[in-house]
Amino acid sequence: MPNVSLTINGKKISQPIEARTLLVQLLRDQLSLTGTHVGCDTSQCGCCTVHLNGKGVKSCAVLALSCQDSVITTIEGLAEGETLHPMQQAFREGHALQCGFCTPGMIMAGIDMVKRKGYELDEKTVREELEGNLCRCTGYHTIVKAIQAGARAMKNL
Amino acid sequence: MSASIQSAKIGDSVIRKEDHRLVTGAGCFSDDVNLPGQAYSVMLRSPHAHAKVLGIHTKNALKCPGVISILTGQDLITDKIKAIPHRPFSPHPADIMLTNSDGSEMFMAPHYPLVVDKVRHVGEAVAMVIAESLAAAKDGAEAIEVDYEILPSVTDTVSAAKKNAPRVFDTAPSNVCLDAETGDREKTEQAFAKAAKIVSFTTWIPRITGVPLEPRAAVGEYTDNGRHYTLHAGTSGAWRTQMDIAIMLGVHEDHVRVITKDVGGHFGTRGMLYGEFLLVVWAARRVGRPVKWTCDRQEAFVSDYQARDLAVEAELALDEKGHFLAIRGSNISNAGGHTTNFSPLRKGVEIMSTIYRMPAAFFRARGVVSNTAPTRPYRSSGRPEVIYVMERLIDLAALACGIDRVTLRRINLLQNHEMPYTNPFGMVFSDGDYHQSMEKALRMADWDGFEQRRQEAKTRGQCRGIGIANYVDTASGVPRERAEMTLRADGTVEVIIGTVSTGQGHETSFAQLVTDWLGVPFDQVKILTGDTQFVKFGGGTHSGRGLRLASIVIHSACQTIIKKGKRIAALLLKCEPSVIEFKEGVFYQKGELGQESQGGPVSLTQVAEASMGLTDLPEELQGPLRAIGDETVTVAEFPYGCQVVEVEIDPQLGSLKIINYTAVDDVGRAVNPAIIHGQVHGGIAQGVGQALMEQAHYDPVSGQLLSGSFMDYAMPRASDFPFFNAQYIEIPSKTHPLGMRPAGEGGTAPALGVMINAICHALQDYGVKHVEMPATSERIWQAIQQAQATKTS
Repeated sequence: MPNVSLTINGKKISQPIEARTLLVQLLRDQLSLTGTHVGCDTSQCGCCTVHLNGKGVKSCAVLALSCQDSVITTIEGLAEGETLHPMQQAFREGHALQCGFCTPGMIMAGIDMVKRKGYELDEKTVREELEGNLCRCTGYHTIVKAIQAGARAMKNL
Repeated sequence: MSASIQSAKIGDSVIRKEDHRLVTGAGCFSDDVNLPGQAYSVMLRSPHAHAKVLGIHTKNALKCPGVISILTGQDLITDKIKAIPHRPFSPHPADIMLTNSDGSEMFMAPHYPLVVDKVRHVGEAVAMVIAESLAAAKDGAEAIEVDYEILPSVTDTVSAAKKNAPRVFDTAPSNVCLDAETGDREKTEQAFAKAAKIVSFTTWIPRITGVPLEPRAAVGEYTDNGRHYTLHAGTSGAWRTQMDIAIMLGVHEDHVRVITKDVGGHFGTRGMLYGEFLLVVWAARRVGRPVKWTCDRQEAFVSDYQARDLAVEAELALDEKGHFLAIRGSNISNAGGHTTNFSPLRKGVEIMSTIYRMPAAFFRARGVVSNTAPTRPYRSSGRPEVIYVMERLIDLAALACGIDRVTLRRINLLQNHEMPYTNPFGMVFSDGDYHQSMEKALRMADWDGFEQRRQEAKTRGQCRGIGIANYVDTASGVPRERAEMTLRADGTVEVIIGTVSTGQGHETSFAQLVTDWLGVPFDQVKILTGDTQFVKFGGGTHSGRGLRLASIVIHSACQTIIKKGKRIAALLLKCEPSVIEFKEGVFYQKGELGQESQGGPVSLTQVAEASMGLTDLPEELQGPLRAIGDETVTVAEFPYGCQVVEVEIDPQLGSLKIINYTAVDDVGRAVNPAIIHGQVHGGIAQGVGQALMEQAHYDPVSGQLLSGSFMDYAMPRASDFPFFNAQYIEIPSKTHPLGMRPAGEGGTAPALGVMINAICHALQDYGVKHVEMPATSERIWQAIQQAQATKTS
């Protein structure tokens, strides 16, 4: 079985895996990082979004072996102790979640959006950028607002 | 934590207790549960819509590396597993009864988790493969050979009702399982005979599916010691699942434990037992180790309980002034491949006239089976369908009679003084100020300024339309709920309750009630739910019954705690319980609050400590301070409201943009405004999804589900919506002891009607009278082309 070595949430991991293992399977099934969710099998829902070398990716569409020597951040790696990441805080304060299943992917996608588009995100941009993240509970209203608020708060990081 | 410094009483938008774990990835959803030594299972599902199963050959599959066992319907029979205990209607006295008009029994047939005779829809489970890994189980499933004798199938609702349609159940005389009549035929015919205008409308409210973002998953355990089964799965209420599994296994409920933690959405889809939940615990017994099953999304599309699918023919009779005289017609509801649930049929037809004054009505209501996935109630079950029909009829009538649509509504909308109102089907609407909600929505949406906006849009070549729809939602469902409250010596209040949150934030809103009523800090209230080890009863989460019933039983438990607390406080203060008062978490002697008196005031925590510590208390007051609220609420609630939508359509493309979405809901008394708004927003999105894009599309010939993935099933996305303009009003309900009205379904109930009304209004100048759902860009474009072709010819 091949081996994969990578850094996940600041921790170095070296793990033998089956070659067909997807990144999301490595995270969930082998490393018990179950905050990254699987909501579909066609890379549409975005529940499995993580950061791979600082960029947002859908971990259901990435082979774990292709992440050799990469740096991965998952939803579990955002907060510093009890202090939430500004995007997490914005979601929490803005009631931007109901069942919470899409939430980790939304937060990871939101942060990625800020990195690419800056701290001042207009409504249209956020809505368009959420093309790859589905939510069935909120009608996106509070999610869009939370990403805008989180983006502004990230300026002070 | 910020939650402890902000006010957390009734009416405050408290930050949810749930959300810290959910934003940090620390939630526990069904697939997050893994048990030592677990095996993995997959379901082999039927590729055919209708076929006899002549044989299932598992020899090769059993040789696949890692395959442990393969179970089929025959094994269920051998082990005497019973069929899924479906309840076609939920038992609430406020709803009308539907029975066959010829007096015969309604047709019901057993539904087994694995096929025992023939498959009745694509995706029905034929065999369960259990293996060392998921991959091995999938390999095993591929190696199974099934001999099918393919039969002709029927998926369309109206076709399924026909006498010569392929028969889903050989034992039934037709696919029509229920054929009822409701209302007053004679009175209705008389009203139609004297009508100045009759408007008719024939439509189909398409089949959709609920799509909670979390696919179903389950882990089953069995221990020989005590013959005990444990199911870990997302349900809408652990208690009902426990009962159903115990019935199917033929064991006492004490031998079954169900644990539900975080649930990733529900919307009605999780309201009945899923066969796979029984299969994992049964398989665990069979193979002697825990068995896990995780549904993938494509599997969910073919095997989740689906929804809506109602064929309607309706006619509205009006007098020359526009007063409604009567409504009549026929509703056919498609239950799918099994006789699972006919509740949406009833919930719809019983309020066919919605909140308008309707002197007479008569409807035929049929429930049919077909070769499609079984259906069950989905957000606001049955009501969005009929509200859509009524609101379309009104707009069509307005055009036909030359009366303004809002005026026509104002004329016919029930007035306050007419309440309580018994509708022509026998439903009693207790109270509501329907004109207030409608007028507020019209103002919020600036209805009067629309014409100007329309003209402006026209200069850009765009067609603007505005639509309106009023709604009423009949909140009934399982009438009983139970709360067990314990006050710990450290001041913590634990509340065990049966109803489970599937995103509605019960841990927060229920705790707010306790904080308000007992004066206990919000952080010290713990809502415990979802585990039958301590939950003794709970009707589940549906029919707007979460907060509606929880508030009643929690209030009742709080009152008992206070009553008991007064007795203990009286002992501590050496006075009579009758002179003790309770306010903001403190017991004190009448007139002495804030004054130094003999030993008082006494806090709730001190009382809790005393109940644990004092040995000279009467026996019933010793030990942790406890109370049980257990109530059966036989009155329904009728939340209502109004929505106004403004859309812009590009006639060249048929593309649509929602410009403004206004919603007004009467919630009676708001507990957590932010949660209420969230419910309304999400409800709107689901209704708009159905109106504009969603459809579980079955091929009419093969019966294949063509919309079996997110690549094919159109899900509403962020770019489909504007920010919503939603406000609520608080007119305390007269039938709820605390004035509360449910808020979970109001977003969806009028959304279908208001969207299609807005679209048709936008296209009015083209001569378009109606666009069927889903009103996709293509459909809108076709409607424009057809209307223009008709005009020129």
